[in-house]
Amino acid sequence: MKLQIKLALYNTLTKLAIIVFTGLLILFSLEKITYAHISLRLKNKKDLFIKNLSSKEINQILNQQQSFTNYNILKEEYIFLKPIPYQAGRTSKESFSTQPRTIEKNTDNYLILTYKFNFDAHSYLLEIGDTMDAVIQLKQTIREFTLLMLVVALLLTLVIDLIFTKYLLAPFYRIIDRKLIKVNDPMNFDYAKIETSTQDFKLLDDSISTLMKKITDLFILEKQFIANVSHELLTPISIISSRLENVLLNEELQEDSENKIFASLKTLNRLKSIINSLLLISKVENNQFNKNDDIQIANIINEVYLELEDRLEDRKVTFENNIKYARSIKGNHSLMHTVLFNIINNSIKYNKEQGRITVTDYLTPDEYILEIADTGTGMSEQQIEKAFNRFEKLDTDEKESYGLGLAIVKSITTFHDIKIEVSSASDKGTAIKLIFNQQLH
Amino acid sequence: MNVLIVEDEKGLALEIDEFLSHEGFTIEHARSKGIAGEKIFVNNYDFILLDLNLPDGDGFDLLQMLKGLKDRDDAVIILTARGAVDDRVLGLEQGADDYLAKPFSLNELLARMHAITRRKHKLESNDIAVREFRINIQNRTVHYNAERINLTKKEYEIFNYLVLNKNRVISRTNLTEHVWGDVLEINSDSNFVDVHVKNLRKKLSQFEAIDWFETVRSIGYRVNI
Repeated sequence: MKLQIKLALYNTLTKLAIIVFTGLLILFSLEKITYAHISLRLKNKKDLFIKNLSSKEINQILNQQQSFTNYNILKEEYIFLKPIPYQAGRTSKESFSTQPRTIEKNTDNYLILTYKFNFDAHSYLLEIGDTMDAVIQLKQTIREFTLLMLVVALLLTLVIDLIFTKYLLAPFYRIIDRKLIKVNDPMNFDYAKIETSTQDFKLLDDSISTLMKKITDLFILEKQFIANVSHELLTPISIISSRLENVLLNEELQEDSENKIFASLKTLNRLKSIINSLLLISKVENNQFNKNDDIQIANIINEVYLELEDRLEDRKVTFENNIKYARSIKGNHSLMHTVLFNIINNSIKYNKEQGRITVTDYLTPDEYILEIADTGTGMSEQQIEKAFNRFEKLDTDEKESYGLGLAIVKSITTFHDIKIEVSSASDKGTAIKLIFNQQLH
Repeated sequence: MNVLIVEDEKGLALEIDEFLSHEGFTIEHARSKGIAGEKIFVNNYDFILLDLNLPDGDGFDLLQMLKGLKDRDDAVIILTARGAVDDRVLGLEQGADDYLAKPFSLNELLARMHAITRRKHKLESNDIAVREFRINIQNRTVHYNAERINLTKKEYEIFNYLVLNKNRVISRTNLTEHVWGDVLEINSDSNFVDVHVKNLRKKLSQFEAIDWFETVRSIGYRVNI
């Protein structure tokens, strides 16, 4: 979840909690306070009633009836008196309760003061009630108001929070976008500061810049290292190989010495190939090549075919070119040539005599796919997994395989953002797919 | 013909010297940019073999200086261990005649020097004769007397290279590298050079016996003239 949304939700939830808590508190205390007020009033009325009481008055009140009830017009209050069986020595006792009472067919909730007392050797029950309706209504109103406040406040804060956090976090996303996502090459890093007043983002920006500076330094160091290694290793090889060639000029050289010198030259050549292959991989991985050439895939396939024609003939392998689309991509021509050369060369190397190599292409809405399939020995799952590692060699009749061909393919395809897929069946052959994303290429 | 070797690596400079002296070139050495600059300023050379990494600077500067001088036709071959594509392009753009990445074969160097000589001096005859065979460098054709022999591009390259390096054993590795270029991961030990040589010999031997075209057991080939 985005930080912006998290912050907005957090704010909303805390506000929700505060409003709910306050609402409940108000409701609760309101009830208590009104209850206390009404109780006090009822008590005062009772005291007034008792104070003015005389036996004559009681008789007058209860004149014709078993009990006496009186209430005001709006039935908000009532008073009720009733004689009860006499109990000597009764202590006067009052109690409060909330009960429904029906007065002239209207049932309401009343807070009732019940008072039992002895008077003139008679026992009486006095009830004074006050309606709770007002309180309930007030509670209802407050509840509705609180709810409304709640909804409005929530919506308002949510919107404001979202807008504010978006504004607040904008520099953060600018930093991520400009300093991390759009950086392909540390050499072209944009050190310009992103404008923000938030100190944390300034810190982030500075930290990324510092990190990038370190990476760039290492990058430059590695480039220098590669250049140095290439120079330092290739020059001695050059000296030895020239020296051996000069020794061969000697006409009195014994035949077996001559053979040994040629064998040494061959070994030197192998050393040179390995160093050059490793250098190529390093250079590709360090983005030291440009990729602005317009490359026609079909043209490269043809170039490679012409170069490998004799190897195909030698192994009697049929080459079937089924390319349908004149697809052109942006990239480095000589590197793409190397990729297709290595793949097709492998297809020949690991093919059977009189086998076949088929080059096909497909177009899907998102991708352009180039498939190179052979009828060779095939590879197992484990072999496929390791095939692109450096110095990984399959069992082969060929004596001089350096195990770097597919490692080179991998580094170049990664450099060009080309996906590579290998499918293989033992003894049936291997198919290598190069997948070009339509948007990228 | 005189050659200036601009190379700070003494061992390599001496080996090139020995090889080219053997071929009849006159050699001078320069071990730094400074010395090379003075020499180039004072003398004309037929060839300048130029290393790019010099102790006191970049060999490209010498190339630029040379191109700034009037009436100079010195051929420049860049010899470098840098091997970057950009360097190659830059070198040729700035007027170098050829570019060889270290380590290179001395035979290859010689073949390139011959090619430049022919191109520059527009030799009256562009033909090299081998007995009754004639190789025309310009048209890249081979004739036997008046009859043209139909060779493939690769057969021609092989024949031409062996003749340029006549009387010397040329290994398969060397031949492969010359004909196919510096292709990574190509198998120099494979016998597919042999296939081309076999075809080449078949075509040549239709005209006369070619016992001068020798196979050196397990190594390579030699043309004895």
